[in-house]
Amino acid sequence: MTHAVSIEHVSKIYPLGNTEVQALHDIHLNFDVGEFTTVAGPSGCGKSTLLNLIGCMDTPSQGEVYIEGKPISKLGDKELTRLRLDKLGFIFQSFNLIPVLNVFQNIEFPLLIQGGFTSKERSDRVMELMDEVGLRAQAKQKSNELSGGQRQRVAIARALITRPSIVLADEPTANLDSSTGERIIDLMKAVNKSHKTTFIFSTHDPLVMKHATRVIRLRDGEVLES
Amino acid sequence: MRESLVLIIKVAFRNLWLYRVKTLVIAGLLCMGSFIGIVGLSLLRDVERSMQDSIISSVAGHLQVYSSKAKDDLALFGGAFMGRAEIGTMPDMVVFRELIKKHPNVADFIPMGSDMAMLGRGNELDDVLTALRTALKKGETDIIEQRKQDLTFLLQQLDRELTEREKLSSDKELMVRYRTDLKTAMEPEYLASLKILDEEKLLFLDTRIAPISGEKQPLYLMYLGTDIDLFEKNFSKFKMVEGEPLAPGQRGILLSYKVRETQLKAVVARLFDRLKKRIDRVETTIKGDADNEATAKDLPKQYQQILASLDRKESEELAAYLKSIGIETAEKELVAGLKEQLQKFLIVDDGNFKDRYAQFYERIAPKMKLYEISPGETIVLRSYTKSGYIKSVPLKVYGVYTFEGLEDSDLAGVMNITDLVTFRELYGEMNEESKKELEAMRAKSSTVVTTAAAAEDALFGESAAPTLENREIEGQAKSNETIQIKPVISDVFPISEIQNGLALNAAIRLKDGSKIDQTRAELNKMFKEAGLEAKLVDWQEATGIVGQFANIVRIVLMFALGVIFVVALVIINNSIIVGTLNRTKEIGTMRAIGAQKSFVLGIFLAETGITSLIGSILGAGLATLFLLALNHKGIPAPNDVMTFLFSGPRLYPTLQWNLVILSPLVISLVATIASIYAARHAAHVKPAEAMQEKE
Repeated sequence: MTHAVSIEHVSKIYPLGNTEVQALHDIHLNFDVGEFTTVAGPSGCGKSTLLNLIGCMDTPSQGEVYIEGKPISKLGDKELTRLRLDKLGFIFQSFNLIPVLNVFQNIEFPLLIQGGFTSKERSDRVMELMDEVGLRAQAKQKSNELSGGQRQRVAIARALITRPSIVLADEPTANLDSSTGERIIDLMKAVNKSHKTTFIFSTHDPLVMKHATRVIRLRDGEVLES
Repeated sequence: MRESLVLIIKVAFRNLWLYRVKTLVIAGLLCMGSFIGIVGLSLLRDVERSMQDSIISSVAGHLQVYSSKAKDDLALFGGAFMGRAEIGTMPDMVVFRELIKKHPNVADFIPMGSDMAMLGRGNELDDVLTALRTALKKGETDIIEQRKQDLTFLLQQLDRELTEREKLSSDKELMVRYRTDLKTAMEPEYLASLKILDEEKLLFLDTRIAPISGEKQPLYLMYLGTDIDLFEKNFSKFKMVEGEPLAPGQRGILLSYKVRETQLKAVVARLFDRLKKRIDRVETTIKGDADNEATAKDLPKQYQQILASLDRKESEELAAYLKSIGIETAEKELVAGLKEQLQKFLIVDDGNFKDRYAQFYERIAPKMKLYEISPGETIVLRSYTKSGYIKSVPLKVYGVYTFEGLEDSDLAGVMNITDLVTFRELYGEMNEESKKELEAMRAKSSTVVTTAAAAEDALFGESAAPTLENREIEGQAKSNETIQIKPVISDVFPISEIQNGLALNAAIRLKDGSKIDQTRAELNKMFKEAGLEAKLVDWQEATGIVGQFANIVRIVLMFALGVIFVVALVIINNSIIVGTLNRTKEIGTMRAIGAQKSFVLGIFLAETGITSLIGSILGAGLATLFLLALNHKGIPAPNDVMTFLFSGPRLYPTLQWNLVILSPLVISLVATIASIYAARHAAHVKPAEAMQEKE
């Protein structure tokens, strides 16, 4: 069986002025379907770089990243974008809702880009997810009228709307108080169970870490523990 | 695809609202551009059309033909400087006419020639002497006294003038004679004793005193010689105002209405006209308008002009009339009293002007000699011919004409029209009679005929006797003989004379005026094949700088629009780039969750497109309303040049729907295309930017 994500001997080097910074060094990791994995480590350890590579927002300097068995290093911007749209869902630290759209429209957004759905199909899916994250009542509200926890729920719904196989979350609870953070993690875990979606998220919050089925620790661009 | 498009537009609209100040600035700018563009181009087209109408149907025709040997370009309304353009001649128009008329689109061929001549005018002494003679005839003592006072005043002026001339003139003998004569006339007894129609004294004053004074300031008249019959038929704007047109084969001149009104009319009437025109046309008031105030201030000084042309009966009538409208005087003596009344009458303001104007023309003008020249009178035109002689031609004034709608125009309206035979005479072409006359003159004055090459030697060489042309000779001769001018050429001529022979240029009127360029090219080909040295220009070129007016305005307008547009585009691009910085995270997020670069590009282009559409459509709407209002009210021509351009006193602009519809589309399209660079910049925001946290 193919892994949800496979990372084979991946290194990433960024130019910085006249020198280079090695963000990741020969990483070798596999993520199975339905895993609920956290990537932990201090700032600058390479968490974000790893997530960017898994998220197809960047390509490795060496090695290869496979998304459901498909190598990404040779893909162009268009294909990477399509891959993100079809296979991946994203949850961001500061929620990143589109300010000019309301809750419903934010969740619907990826479906509209994807195309091929009738308005009813879209509406049904959005409604279903709004129920799931408990935001049906806020459907018409703009993102700036919502609390942090509510915004992150919208983001989760948006990440799930295209029914991706992998959801990436970059410090999803960092901007939330601990109880709200906990509820968000609970929600993610529930989705992980019900949808069989692979979750990979970065955090340095021990409270969050304890919910993970697997913890990968990074330091200085290398895997300490996986 | 459709969903994406709808989404793009939706997001674009939201963003425009979110950044509404920026949107407003850009839309406002494009609104202005669209407004100026539509209004400007509409007006320009209207002016161009009306100007075309003015020019084609007044003197130019659709095309003008003249010699290709011309040194200067043909400029029917004068070039940039009022010089004599050297446009060569068509020695025999028949060749040209026959060939040109072969073209199926040519309706007519109207031969012409134009030049400038000096109008012989009398002087103030002549006028006063005529008035004195009239008063003496009627035996009206107080009027006679008044005229004598006028005469005395002029004699005193003449005395001062002569003193100056005595210092300068080399003709001492003549000066002594003048001085003796003037002394005689200025003896107090001389005028005091003039109480009856004393022909001997009057003749002395007429023939010995009046000529001492120079002529009134010479008046240069532009004249156009043509076949008046053809002219009338082909130029629809030609219209007689007074008198009658010249009959075929009749020598004479038609005065331009404009020239007569502005140069040959009594000053007092001109001042009234000027005020009236500015008040009516430009909608100004007297008070507060510097030009009008100055005119109104000049008016009361002109009483003398009225007074000088009234006899006793007329003076009494006028005094009584002025009294009846409330202008009174305590003065018992008639002339002194009337003077005071007239001065009061001529003080005008915004309250009384309308009445005074009407009263002047109703009650005073008919008593005056309103114009220096009127139909029925004979004038003398003097020109420097091409052969260098001064030629004087007496011409009967048959009437006054104008170009309809261009009554006030300085350009088309300054031409006086005469027959081609007279033109040739003034131009200096020799006919048999004038050749003989010249021979006789040469014999009499023993002038040596010389060639151009030998002329220098003949004039300045050792053998050359100093010869000076003295312009006074002519005046003297005129005053010594009786005032009978014997025409050199006869008053009538056979029609064939103007159908053959010399013309400088000719107007060509076309049947289908829309095919000017085509016809021109075909005619040029015909000229070439026939080996005819002819040059063709269209109405626009033929009228020199005037015809180019529309082009100049177009360039200025385009430049202004270009500036507005460039500013708008710079602001648009700038705002997109700044907007990209502000919206990096938003764009990154869209890209991260699967939006293609083209989607981001689309949002920014849509924002520009929508903003510019809104702005330019608004501008187009405003322009439409503005033009409709102008169409209803008309734009008054503020001056005479504009009257010409407007082809009348007001321009009624028309709305061009294609311009109203196309302008916003073109503006939006250009603005959108121009913003592609900046929008691409936005589309290059990396999806990973979504992850960046601002600390």
